[in-house]
Amino acid sequence: MSASLEKGINALKQQIDAPIATFFSSCVHCGMCAEACLFYTETGDPKYTPINKVEPLRIIWKQEYTLLGRLGKLFGIGETVTDEMLTEWESLVYDSCTMCGRCSMICPVGNDIAYMVRKTREGMAAAGHAPDGLIGASKRAITIGSPMGVKLPALQAQIGHVEKDTGMKIPVDVEGAEYMCLLSSMEIMNFPEYIGAIAKIFDHAGVSWTISSEAFEATNSGIQIGVSEIAAELIQRVVDAAEKLKVKAVISPECGHAYMAIRWEGPNLIGRPYSFKVFHILEVLDQLREQGRLKTRGMEKARLTYHDPCQIARRGGVLEQPRNLINMIAENFVEMPDAGKMNWCCGAGGGVSTNERADEIRLKVFQRKKDQLDEVHAEGLVSACSNCRIYIEEGLEEYHMDIPVLSLTETLAEHLVDK
Amino acid sequence: MTQITNDIEFRRAIDGLDYARQRILAGRFVSNVLDLSTDGRIERVVKTTLDAGASADQLTEALKAARSATMDSYTRCGAEGDWKEQAGYFVARAATAAVTPESQSKGGGPAWQAAMSSRMARTSILIDNAEQATSHESEQQYRILAEFLNS
Repeated sequence: MSASLEKGINALKQQIDAPIATFFSSCVHCGMCAEACLFYTETGDPKYTPINKVEPLRIIWKQEYTLLGRLGKLFGIGETVTDEMLTEWESLVYDSCTMCGRCSMICPVGNDIAYMVRKTREGMAAAGHAPDGLIGASKRAITIGSPMGVKLPALQAQIGHVEKDTGMKIPVDVEGAEYMCLLSSMEIMNFPEYIGAIAKIFDHAGVSWTISSEAFEATNSGIQIGVSEIAAELIQRVVDAAEKLKVKAVISPECGHAYMAIRWEGPNLIGRPYSFKVFHILEVLDQLREQGRLKTRGMEKARLTYHDPCQIARRGGVLEQPRNLINMIAENFVEMPDAGKMNWCCGAGGGVSTNERADEIRLKVFQRKKDQLDEVHAEGLVSACSNCRIYIEEGLEEYHMDIPVLSLTETLAEHLVDK
Repeated sequence: MTQITNDIEFRRAIDGLDYARQRILAGRFVSNVLDLSTDGRIERVVKTTLDAGASADQLTEALKAARSATMDSYTRCGAEGDWKEQAGYFVARAATAAVTPESQSKGGGPAWQAAMSSRMARTSILIDNAEQATSHESEQQYRILAEFLNS
């Protein structure tokens, strides 16, 4: 056995915890998860069946924790994990799984297959089987503080523009503010108007908020690549900044996995509860709506639909809030089939968009989103994740569909009544 | 002789223009940062923008090209950002704003949107510059607008 294979097997073995062992014991091999995965439904290739993506982990579990597997290992018979297998499965685990969690919803015995993929990624990353794009992003996240290498001067430059554009002061490092807003590098680089949108909304609603110069980045490459130590380090930076500024709550921006990381995984990763609350921006906006603090004017006339980002809706539970907000500003809102917690992924989550090797399959499986949009004759698509936004736009262009893609926060800000 | 010396006057003057004139002005703002883009499509979009007699079809085609150029120049999630390349993205966005029809235009209108994105483009190439050079794009835009109003 080569040293790299031994390392890989050991790394995967370390990921087998009680839930993983239970899930493998419970699997009835029904294959229902296949129909839940757009990589299978859009290709018809059984290798994309979600449970198959964790096959190296299953083989090791069987060899180590079942009687038959242990006997097989003793006599040198039965399935084994090889270097070739790890190489092949690297693309299955990273290129053709967005960690959207739809398979977990479908599994009749309740296996959390997305969790199993996440654990497989942990082992694969430790074994050196992770895509270069994600490795680079994780390194930059640790050394620079942003997976895209966005440093504070870049944020300050964008803030300067936003202040000129909106005529408003963007608060930075304000101690005692109610909210500390995180941003994704995607927003800073590609959609700085998001910063202007939250400034307008919070000014309108009389909310005190701030950005931390020490921890403004929301995205968590550690979660995407599957390295808990990196994920925990990135969470800790946010926690330290929030506690230093004594804010009551941290707001995750329009980024899917960032929300899942800071809201749901964070406390477990750092091993203690937060001293503050965490909300997705849409949750805060809907609270403001409920309190009557958002006054809007005019309605969008186009037939708008909403794309639920997987980590915000299915894995995050933010389902009603975007719809409440859209109903304030759109008079022809239509739901796509399977909308809400069973919505189909855009195909670019879970680090797939970071991984150039996955571009071809990502665009192929976009067919599912195209079909959803075609069915409702959407004239505009609203979402709340800048990653979804960019890659849906790319998919629409690939499939020759002329549908504008809008940020819900930004669209709402445009409809606010002037103070 | 109109003079523009700050953003308040700048925005007020832009707001006083009708949509067609704003589009032409937006084209002039984009022209001023064209050197930051390597995408040939943008130059063609600007040409259409500056043409007061451009037909609806030409504008639609220009919008398509500008949007496509914008999409091609996004920094992908998790990729190492290169602010010099990002300047091209903001130029493409400025061009898109210039040819976006009134019904889809965002707050501020095409000229204001194009001006803001053009400034971001100019700043982008300076972000990684250790000398922290200052962008004078806004002053140049004041001059462009004043010339436009006085012509």
